[in-house]
Amino acid sequence: MLILVTGGSGSGKSEYAENTAVRLAKEEDLPLYYIAAMKPCGEEGRRRVERHWRLRAGKGFETRERYVDLKGLALPKRGVVLLECLSNLTANEMFEPEGAGDRTVEGVLAGVRSLAEKTAHLVVVTNDIFSDGMTYDEVTTLYQERLGRINRELAGAFDQVTEVVCGIPIQLKVKGSSVI
Amino acid sequence: MILVIGGAFQGKKEYVKKQFALAEEDFADGAVCGEEELYWARAVLHFHEYVRRCLETGESPEELTALTDRLIRENPDVILLCNELGSGVVPVDAFDRSWRETTGRLCCRLAGEAVRVCRVVCGIGTVIKG
Repeated sequence: MLILVTGGSGSGKSEYAENTAVRLAKEEDLPLYYIAAMKPCGEEGRRRVERHWRLRAGKGFETRERYVDLKGLALPKRGVVLLECLSNLTANEMFEPEGAGDRTVEGVLAGVRSLAEKTAHLVVVTNDIFSDGMTYDEVTTLYQERLGRINRELAGAFDQVTEVVCGIPIQLKVKGSSVI
Repeated sequence: MILVIGGAFQGKKEYVKKQFALAEEDFADGAVCGEEELYWARAVLHFHEYVRRCLETGESPEELTALTDRLIRENPDVILLCNELGSGVVPVDAFDRSWRETTGRLCCRLAGEAVRVCRVVCGIGTVIKG
């Protein structure tokens, strides 16, 4: 099962994604991995990462930090993977010196596809950064465009796409349905 | 408590007026009202603006969580209208980041307690809970 979870900042998407991954792992007694793509920067970044640690504590996740090149990531066993999140991963591939640069979209998609092949179930968290109506500089706009493309590609390929609003999951695509 | 969310200028207030037969004077406005009004108003507009004002005067997200809990307790039939703020590029300004995240988390809490949550887009309300 491939599940894409989207939502805005503070929407409760992480908690929903975690609970979904935990449930899938329990149902089939599978190991549970958390891939953190966020590089903690400064005090606020550290607090953010700590908050996510607290949310995950006791849920049985084995955490791997991976900021770029998901394709090269090896996992000990076939299990349930929660990848959080595509907005960080895309930014890292675009802006970090070791990132994919101009081939960011291809790099992120190849990474997610390779993860999908190696796992029993994959839950991917992305971010809705598209609805503030602001016009940004060229680089930020390119970042939005790239993340938008990645989201669309994955939503097309995945079994389930869920938008979380105020902690409430809204199913945009469920297994067996097709989206145009 | 009923929570009504949606982007700016989507018709949340008009939706609430029609759905719940409310008049202009039934609304307290989070952009200007005092704390006490929250506890007796039939409906509260611009809850996100109330959150912004509190953060501007130095209140912490935890204090706002406590205020939200008190609001649910003391005004259990209130209809709260709040903008969705989280669906944009991460703001450069630290205060803006804190405001939008705090508002989002408070809305998660409110939605958890609400008997009904409506999301209004283009004036059309969809009940997403209850």
